[in-house]
Amino acid sequence: MITVSGLTKRYGERTVVDHVSFDLEPGTVTGFLGPNGAGKTTTMRMMTSLVAPTAGSAVIDGKLYAELPNPGAVVGTLLDASAVHPGRTGRTHLRLLASAVGVPASRVDEVLDMVGLSDAAGRRIGGYSLGMRQRLGIAGALLADPPVLVFDEPANGLDPEGIRWMRDLLRTHAARGGTVLLSSHLLNEVEHTVDRLLVIGEGRIVADGPVATLLAGDGTTVRAVDAPSLAADLAAAGLRVEATADGALVVAGADASQVFAVAAAGGHVLTELRPTERGLEDLFFQLTTAA
Amino acid sequence: MTNTLIEAPGPAVRSTGASVPSLVGLEIRKSLSTRSGKSLAAASILLAPAAAAVAATASSEPLGSVTGPLGALGMLTGLVLLSFGVLSTAGEWSHRTVQTTYLLVPHRGRVLATKAVAVALMGAAFAAMAAALVAGVLALLVSGASWAGVGLAFGAVVAAGAAFAVIGAGVGAATANTPAALTGLYLVILGGIPVLRTFKPEIGDKIDPAGATLALAQGQATTQSILILSAWMGVALVAGAVMTRRRQVS
Repeated sequence: MITVSGLTKRYGERTVVDHVSFDLEPGTVTGFLGPNGAGKTTTMRMMTSLVAPTAGSAVIDGKLYAELPNPGAVVGTLLDASAVHPGRTGRTHLRLLASAVGVPASRVDEVLDMVGLSDAAGRRIGGYSLGMRQRLGIAGALLADPPVLVFDEPANGLDPEGIRWMRDLLRTHAARGGTVLLSSHLLNEVEHTVDRLLVIGEGRIVADGPVATLLAGDGTTVRAVDAPSLAADLAAAGLRVEATADGALVVAGADASQVFAVAAAGGHVLTELRPTERGLEDLFFQLTTAA
Repeated sequence: MTNTLIEAPGPAVRSTGASVPSLVGLEIRKSLSTRSGKSLAAASILLAPAAAAVAATASSEPLGSVTGPLGALGMLTGLVLLSFGVLSTAGEWSHRTVQTTYLLVPHRGRVLATKAVAVALMGAAFAAMAAALVAGVLALLVSGASWAGVGLAFGAVVAAGAAFAVIGAGVGAATANTPAALTGLYLVILGGIPVLRTFKPEIGDKIDPAGATLALAQGQATTQSILILSAWMGVALVAGAVMTRRRQVS
């Protein structure tokens, strides 16, 4: 388990990360969301000892990252896909990493194949596209098949096929008991990949919970054969009703049983009845604007 | 626990950190895996013998001893190795590959120490090859010169090669900026100190690493020369270690 406790980073008077705390459980993919400059990358860099925290700590099974005997074997990290020497070939780059992390050189060809870079492995990285560099970075993170993956914006530059591949990779990793922390600004992608959301705004965690819980709205959405009549009955029962452009009724603050009771009493024929859900984009803007 | 994955017939992974010899080997491979590294390595080996060939062919003056040119050309090799050392550390910051380096080996002092050992070994090896080639050129093209003391001169050139590479690595780590490190070092060694030696020779002589290399190769002021080169290495490495430890990787 990864435990982040009170991580804080100040540069002079400016607080970039402010008492950030969370736990990451094995078997889960956690999405780390926030606008640019919210503190996501700084938090990830503090977790991996690249940036010294002003206060707080991040421990992996009770140990600081720097105390892990072979960190690359425990945490696979992709923070900046362009942090590679452009004059080396992809294969040379990975072979150097393989030596550092202590895996056989043959593993390099396995991960190159896994990320679809086998054909480009002999080319200098300077000629790679952003998507290819992302795949190379992911290959480097997977060399030791580590139980923890920490990826910062891994979908940048990936084509739709690549994004789907990455989603499957992360879900499979979690299904094997791995722990994944994924930051991304592609909200739709995050919504379909993660189990849990951490939302950070102005350096503070503003939401933390399962995706379904956070996206669940406060209300019920209902469709009826005679929607205007049902709306009138709901209003008469003291419920606040709004009609959407596509003909559905959103009943704020009411659960499905309350709405059903009114509909049944009025003899309405319902075609849909479900808890209202918010879109991730709505949630994101609501939380981060409030922060 | 986060350190296990189910259904994972994954690769065999070393459970401990890399040993110092394997890290040194890794740093050597890193330095020689780029065109700039290979070019500087080749230049450090070939520049001095090429200069020796040109000088021996063009000069009509009789040469008294080979230790003088061996030392002078060893100094030239050292100046190239200075750049080689700078690239090994500052180059990592310029290309941001330092991020991966510290993710895999988070102990920054250990990384700098292994880089210093790696460039010292390469510096010594390249300087030895350069000195051997210079000696070969002199043997072929110069007749009548004394070869007395050539063993000491050879040793001095090899030691200076290692020292200059380490100095470069230390200053590169301290600045984390390749152009700044190279400009600063060459301005001080080839500009500032020679000027100081003109006006205050008693001070300039005591801090000049190039002059120390020359003196050492000729068997003069041995202790002072060793101290000067050691002090340069020590100051560069301490500065590199202090600055590296405090620097954020962003």
